[in-house]
Amino acid sequence: MTELAVATPLVALAGGALTALARTPREADHANVLAAIVTALVALALAVAAIAGETASTRWLYVDAASGVFLAVIAVVGLCSALVSPIYLRTSGRSWFTAARSRRAYYAALYAFWAALLAIPISANLAVVWLVVEATTGASALLVSFSGRREALEAGWKYLVLTTLGLSVALLGIVILAIAQAGLGAHGLHALGWDALTAAPLPEEETLLAFVLITAGLATKIGWAPVHNWLPDAHSEAPAPISALLSAALLPTVVLVAWRVKDALAPPAADAVFIGFGLASMLIAVPFLWRSLPFKRLLAYSSLEHMGVIALGLGIGGRLAIAGVLLHVCGHALAKALGFYAALPLLRADPDAASQPLAGVAAPTATAIGISLVALSGLPPSPLFVSELLIALGGIEAGETAVVAVAIVALALGFLGLLHALLTGLLDEPRRRSRRHRSYRPIIALTCTLGGGLLALTAASALLPGSALVEGLL
Amino acid sequence: MTATLALVFGLAVLVVRRRSLAIALVGAQSLAIGVAAFGHDGELVVAGIVLAVKAVALPALLLAVMRRTREPRLVAAAAGPLVRLAGAGAAAGLAVAFTPDLGTGDLHAERAAVALVVVGIAIVVARRPALFQLLGLIVAENGLSLLAVSVPGGLSYVIELGALLDLALVVVVASFFTRRIHMELGTGDTDLLRTLRD
Repeated sequence: MTELAVATPLVALAGGALTALARTPREADHANVLAAIVTALVALALAVAAIAGETASTRWLYVDAASGVFLAVIAVVGLCSALVSPIYLRTSGRSWFTAARSRRAYYAALYAFWAALLAIPISANLAVVWLVVEATTGASALLVSFSGRREALEAGWKYLVLTTLGLSVALLGIVILAIAQAGLGAHGLHALGWDALTAAPLPEEETLLAFVLITAGLATKIGWAPVHNWLPDAHSEAPAPISALLSAALLPTVVLVAWRVKDALAPPAADAVFIGFGLASMLIAVPFLWRSLPFKRLLAYSSLEHMGVIALGLGIGGRLAIAGVLLHVCGHALAKALGFYAALPLLRADPDAASQPLAGVAAPTATAIGISLVALSGLPPSPLFVSELLIALGGIEAGETAVVAVAIVALALGFLGLLHALLTGLLDEPRRRSRRHRSYRPIIALTCTLGGGLLALTAASALLPGSALVEGLL
Repeated sequence: MTATLALVFGLAVLVVRRRSLAIALVGAQSLAIGVAAFGHDGELVVAGIVLAVKAVALPALLLAVMRRTREPRLVAAAAGPLVRLAGAGAAAGLAVAFTPDLGTGDLHAERAAVALVVVGIAIVVARRPALFQLLGLIVAENGLSLLAVSVPGGLSYVIELGALLDLALVVVVASFFTRRIHMELGTGDTDLLRTLRD
C-alpha cells in the first residue's frame, strides 16, 4: 500500500510530463487521455484499499479511510476534468499563452494541480500538507486565468494573492506549533506529524492560537465565509474543467486538512469554530442563490453553501454527522462537477450565459443542469438530501438543536433559490438559437455516468452510519 | 536588532512611492533575516540557499518585471502614507497584544515577526500596484522566516526549502500575472481590476 501511495501523485506528474512531450495538439490530447486514465486507476486502487480498511502510517505517508474517500473524489473529478479538457481547448479560442504553447501549458498546470491534490490526503505531516496546499495555488491560479480575459486575470490575481496571504497566516500557526513542540523536546519535521501532534501535551494557549490561525488560513483556501471573496470569481472565470476541480476536489480536500488539524490539536473551541464557519457560509450564500446570476457564479455560491454544510457536520461530529460529511463530500463532488461540465455546451451554444442568468437551455444541457441543480438543492433522491438529513440528526443527537434549526432554514432558502434558477433556465425563451448542429454526446455520457453515480451514492448511504468506515474516523 | 531592522524595512515598503526602492527594501529585509539565520541553529547550506534566493534571485526577478512594466505615471494611493502607516501600526499592535509569549526565548523577535506578517497583509490591502501587492506577500513570508529563525533547534530543512520553493513558485506566477495585467490595462494598478461583482 505504501508503494501505491507514493506512486499516486508521481503518476500524475509523469502524466503531465507525457503531455509536454507531445509534438502536436492532437498528440497532446491523446497523451492526456492515456495519462488521465492511468492516474485515476492508480488513485482509485489506493482509495478502494483505504476505504476497505487498509491503513499506512510512515514518517511521510498517512492513509486512512478518510484519505480513501477524498482520493476517490479527486480521482473521479480529475479524470472527468482531464477527459473534457480537449473539448474546452478546441472551443475556447483565446488563451494568455501563444497558440503553440497553450495546450502544453494547460496540461502541465492541470497535472501539477492534480498531483498536488492527490498528495494532500495521504500526507502524514502538517507542514508537508501546507507545502502541497500552497503548491496547488501556483498551478491553479494559472489555470483560472487561462483564457487571458481581463475578468479571468482579475479572478486569478485575487485568488493568488488572497489564498497566499491566508496560507501565510496558516504557516504562522504551524511555526507556533513547531515552537511549542520544541519546548517539549520534539524537534524537526517529525514533530509536526499528525501522530506527534495528537500525542503531544501541547500548552493550551499556544495550541488554541495555532489552531485559530491555521483554520482561519485554510478557510481562505476552502472559501468559508467571511474569507470567500476569491471563490465566486475564480469559479466563474476558470475553464469549466478547472472550475469542477476547484469546487469538487480542491475545496473539500483542504477541508480534510482542517479536519485533521482539528482532530490532532483538539482545542476546546474547535467544534464551535467549525460550526461558526459552517453557519456563516450557509447564511451568506443564501442571498446570492436567490439572485439572477450567471450559471457558473450560481454554482460557485452553491460551493460556499456546501462547504458550510461540511464544516457544520465536522463541528457537530459523531457517528451520524461524520457519515453525512463523507456522503456530502462525494455527492457534492459529482453534482457540482456535472454542473460545471454542462457549462461547456451551455457557453458554446450561448456565450452570453457567461455573464447572464440561464435562459432557454437546450435539452441535453438542460438535463445535465437539471440533475446537477436538483442534486445540489438536496431534493430526494439526491444523496445530498440524505447527507444533510444525517448531519441534522447528528446535530439533534448532540444537543445542537438551535444550530440545526438555523441550518435547516438556510438550506431551505438555498433550495428555493436553486429551484428558481433551474425553472427560469428551463422555461424562459432562449436568448439565441443554435445555428448549427452541435455534438452533445460528451455531456450526455457525463450526465449518465455522474447521474448514475449520484443514485448509487443515495443507495449506498443507508449502509454508511455505523459502518466500519465511519467508526474508524470517530 | 535584526527584528527591528526587518520591521522598519517592512513599514517603509508601505509608504515608499517607487517600486525600485520598495524592491530594494524587501531585498535588504530578506538579507538581514537571512544573515541572522546563519547565527542560529540549523543547516548552513539551507540558510545560504534561502539567502541567495530571497535576497538576490527574487529581487532580481522583480526588478526585471519592473523594467518590462513601465508605469506611465505613479499610481495614486487610496490613502496617504501617514494613514497607511497608522492603520498598519494599529493592526500590528493589536495582533502583538493578543499574541502570548510563544516560548522561543526572544520575545522581541516573536513580536516583530507577528507584526511583520500583519504589515505584509497591510501592504497587500493598502497598495494598489500589482508589484507592491506581490512585495506584501514576500514581507509577510519574511515575518514567518524571522519567527522560524527563532525556533529552538531550527525548523526542519524540508520545511524551510519547501516554503522557499513555494514562495519562488508564487512569485514567478505572480510575475507572469503582473506583466499580463500591465499588458491588458497599460498599468499595474489593481484598482482597475474590479469588474467582477455581484
